[in-house]
Amino acid sequence: MTLVEKIELYSLTLLKGAGFTIGITVITFCVAVALGLLFGAIKAFNAKRELSSLLSFTDAVLYLSGRLLVLLINVYVEVFRGLPALAVLFILYFGLAYAGLQLGSFAAAVLGLGLIGGAMLTEVFRAGFGSIHQGQREAALAVGMTPLDALRHIILPQTWRITLPPLANYAIGLLKDTAIVSAIAAPEIMFFARNLVTRTFDTEIIYLLVAVIYFCLSFPLARLADRFEARARAGVR
Amino acid sequence: MIEFLTVYAENWASWWPQIRAAIWVTLGLTGFAYVLAMVVGMLIALGRMSRSALLRGLCKGYVEFMRGVPTLVILFLIYFGLPSFGIVFDAFWAGVIGLGLSMGGYIAEVFRSGLQAIHYGQREAALAVGMTPVQAFRYVTLPLAFRIILPPMLNMLILLLKDSSLAALITAPELMLTAKDLASSTFLPMHLYLLVGVLYLALTLPMSFVARHIEARMRLGAAR
Repeated sequence: MTLVEKIELYSLTLLKGAGFTIGITVITFCVAVALGLLFGAIKAFNAKRELSSLLSFTDAVLYLSGRLLVLLINVYVEVFRGLPALAVLFILYFGLAYAGLQLGSFAAAVLGLGLIGGAMLTEVFRAGFGSIHQGQREAALAVGMTPLDALRHIILPQTWRITLPPLANYAIGLLKDTAIVSAIAAPEIMFFARNLVTRTFDTEIIYLLVAVIYFCLSFPLARLADRFEARARAGVR
Repeated sequence: MIEFLTVYAENWASWWPQIRAAIWVTLGLTGFAYVLAMVVGMLIALGRMSRSALLRGLCKGYVEFMRGVPTLVILFLIYFGLPSFGIVFDAFWAGVIGLGLSMGGYIAEVFRSGLQAIHYGQREAALAVGMTPVQAFRYVTLPLAFRIILPPMLNMLILLLKDSSLAALITAPELMLTAKDLASSTFLPMHLYLLVGVLYLALTLPMSFVARHIEARMRLGAAR
């Protein structure tokens, strides 16, 4: 086989894994955004509630349960920001199987990377929500919006400027992190690459192709992140 | 729960010597890779601010490449790919080089944004009082930039410590690989992976607290 033929053949095989890589990135991204939005919102809105505004017993209960929730969220964030992704994946995939709960490699990958991403995005969204003045929400409620309407139409649109750049950077990091789920046998690009290598021994060609494929996947995301960053900076001026 | 914990008590004597050795390998990987990443990062950052367009382009390309390609792929290229060209590293040094080169791209951006945040008047003033360009960089620009660079540099160290676990996949005998080996010989994966998880947390949590503390103090200083 000539070099060109090899490259063609290997690329076709590797691109089969690219579909899985993209799929796992998109689904994990959605999971992480959902977790981050929820926990970030809880953290941001509980930070703004103050003791002095307690009027009744229900207020006190709400305040304390809010504090407890925030504490739990903080523990979650610290733990999943401090753990290597590989350790989380191994616990979920090999550890849980030992405990009698066999997760598939796809489920383990989405859950593991999603929990890690959620911890990261919790802080991103907290900062985003925290930057919006309370008056914005109060004004929305005053003109008759429901709290959900206020969130959807008033608060969220204003947080995007702050949250979009780190979100785009997170997406790039996530795309790259999916390379390690080959270690729990998920059939993505690296997994196909390792199989190809054991069959053909063309190590350097195959891993260079892998690098090129990842680069092509992440390059558009990187440009998007740059544009968001430029726009966010322009808005401050 | 008690049953779960007694397993640790029973096996601790046989596990600990291997785990302790692995912790040192993890710390060694992280430390050497960090030094390499700082050297690479500084060179690339200076290259991106150089007068030569070619050098600027090359250094930008390096940053883009490292930003776009997974660290694991870099590690595999160095450990499995380079031997085809007659260059062979053992797993540890392949890990150091791969992690260092990959992190170097990120650190270059940290350095660059730190150095560019310093007003050029500072450098001009240093030159005007008779300092050489090197002295102006060493005694004026760098100390000023240090303050901006320090918090993200600590975060990079934490990231690097976590990323050093990737070297397990090229068989560097660090924490993750040791846990994997022990797990497959004892059939206690949950115990061992939880144990290394706790060990990683014990290493990363203090660092992230220090990082946050310094960050808060720096912000205080800037507000003054």
